[in-house]
Amino acid sequence: MDNAAKRFLFAAVALAVIVSLCSSYFNRYYLGVAIDVGINVILAVSLNLINGHTGQFSLGHAGFMAVGGYTTAKFALLLQGQLPPWAQPLIFVAGLLLGGSMAAVAGLAVGVPTLRLKGDYLAIVTLGFGEIIRVIFQTTEAFGAATGLTGIPHWTNFAWTWSCAALTVFVVACLVNSTYGRGFIAVHDDEVAAGAMGINPVRYKITAFVIGAFFAGVAGGLYAHHKQFLSPGGFDFLKSIDIVVMVILGGMGRTVGVIIAAVLLTILPEALRGFAGYRMILYSLLIIILMLTRPQGLFTFGRAAQRKV
Amino acid sequence: MIGPLLQLQCVTIRFGGLTAVSEVDFQIGGRELVGLIGPNGAGKTTVFNLVTGVYQPTSGAILFAGQPTANLKSNQLARLGIARTFQNIRLFASMSVFDNVRVAVQLHSPHGIRDALWRGRGFREGERAVETQVMELLEIFNLGRFRAANAKSLPYGDQRRLEIVRALATRPKLLLLDEPAAGMNTTEKVALTQLIRFIKDKFQIAVLLVEHDMQVVMGICERIAVLDYGIKIAEGSPAKVRADPRVIEAYLGDELKIQN
Ligand SMILES: Nc1ncnc2c1ncn2[C@@H]1O[C@H](COP(=O)(O)OP(=O)(O)OP(=O)(O)O)[C@@H](O)[C@H]1O
Ligand SMILES: [Mg+2]
Repeated sequence: MDNAAKRFLFAAVALAVIVSLCSSYFNRYYLGVAIDVGINVILAVSLNLINGHTGQFSLGHAGFMAVGGYTTAKFALLLQGQLPPWAQPLIFVAGLLLGGSMAAVAGLAVGVPTLRLKGDYLAIVTLGFGEIIRVIFQTTEAFGAATGLTGIPHWTNFAWTWSCAALTVFVVACLVNSTYGRGFIAVHDDEVAAGAMGINPVRYKITAFVIGAFFAGVAGGLYAHHKQFLSPGGFDFLKSIDIVVMVILGGMGRTVGVIIAAVLLTILPEALRGFAGYRMILYSLLIIILMLTRPQGLFTFGRAAQRKV
Repeated sequence: MIGPLLQLQCVTIRFGGLTAVSEVDFQIGGRELVGLIGPNGAGKTTVFNLVTGVYQPTSGAILFAGQPTANLKSNQLARLGIARTFQNIRLFASMSVFDNVRVAVQLHSPHGIRDALWRGRGFREGERAVETQVMELLEIFNLGRFRAANAKSLPYGDQRRLEIVRALATRPKLLLLDEPAAGMNTTEKVALTQLIRFIKDKFQIAVLLVEHDMQVVMGICERIAVLDYGIKIAEGSPAKVRADPRVIEAYLGDELKIQN
């Protein structure tokens, strides 16, 4: 089973690279959408660790994504001219790691003071945090202020995106599917009982925030080098809600369901571009109907009560 | 170790104007089986919450194995060797029976987040060791056949026993049982009485038992302490406590129950 996880990772990365090598045969538009999907898979699966598995309802994921995106992009813009072209992949990987790490630091900064908060309170504070981050970028001249960052090199491709997505799935699934990882779910189910069994809820919550934020940061970096343009408006709380909807629709805490939801919710708006204005109404309706009829999530299979990853 | 395992020194806790536990002195030795009884709202569960770090006393001190427990968190106290069950069953509802116990076994299993991510040999061996421990415990309590079932899908009595198994999985020195017989029928209660005795002997631990069922308490406890309105009004052998007029008065309506 453990080797199966590693085999999945290697197979997924290999597949991503192969598809990427053949990318000239594919329609550029579809390839772009495929990259959007991959980025959203990273975002949803990483948020699922915080919201779904650990039960910390966070609405700040777009904030973490912004930290990663701006960091990665700024890093590339600063170094791009200084180094020879062959160093590009190195700058990119280093930038993604740096972006992820900065986002992880932000995750720590949110996680620690909000430890005592639960449910709605946590949601509101994380939402506020995400907005603060956005406003900071919006007003900082070095990050392009309100106009945003332009001229970001186009380094993100199918291989990078889906390798990162595979890595995210691997990390979250491996974490949760272990004796150690059951602690996340224990904290979700009953914090007092978890504490009495020797689980340190504080430790687990912070770990979830830091790891979740790291991958959101990586997703932000990929996004920056995919769109080649960053504006603070792209990281508003509607983006956070988009990701939360994927997690809820996928059935909080079910990795496969969340991946399916991320794929569908990225492709659907593309297919229905004409209705873009109604997206939020549609989402709200979807969630209400879902909560009334299938509270365990749309894409959860097998025994409903039993947690599967 | 010299001296008592658990010691409460003049412990008081107030919730606003209500003094839930008032200047309670109490101790329990390494292998003792002690009962803690009292009418509804007497403060028994609050004592458990104080001992397990859920609440901090307003005044007074709690010592475990001679060490003051002030400011220690529940999980740190669990590591020191205090385990408990809950009056209103608090199993991990979304997990299987196996995983409920697995979470508790983790406390003394050496592998952690790095092994989980690396998935090397250490991880496989660690997980196998955990599985062996969990299954051993479940088999002792005849719960092995339920391993894959959702914890909350078990019959009520089995849920109570699973909570005890989960607590034992943390390898405690002191086990706190909060009304383990609640909701059980007479046969189950007899079995539970034997089970508690068995646990004490097999695992060589101290047990503090809160229980309303006098048959259970009087039958197995070596010593009993009685709380009423947060005050310890009596302590001693079952025979002595049963005859104590203050205890009888506190229980008033339940008088007959005690006499039996
Ligand atoms: N967190 C709290 N906040 C306010 N009051 C509390 C709190 N916890 C307990 N109490 C009060 O303290 C008193 C003792 O409660 P406790 O649960 O310890 O009683 P008990 O002896 O366990 O009773 P029972 O037999 O019904 O379980 C009660 O009056 C209860 O309302
Ligand atoms: Mg009680």
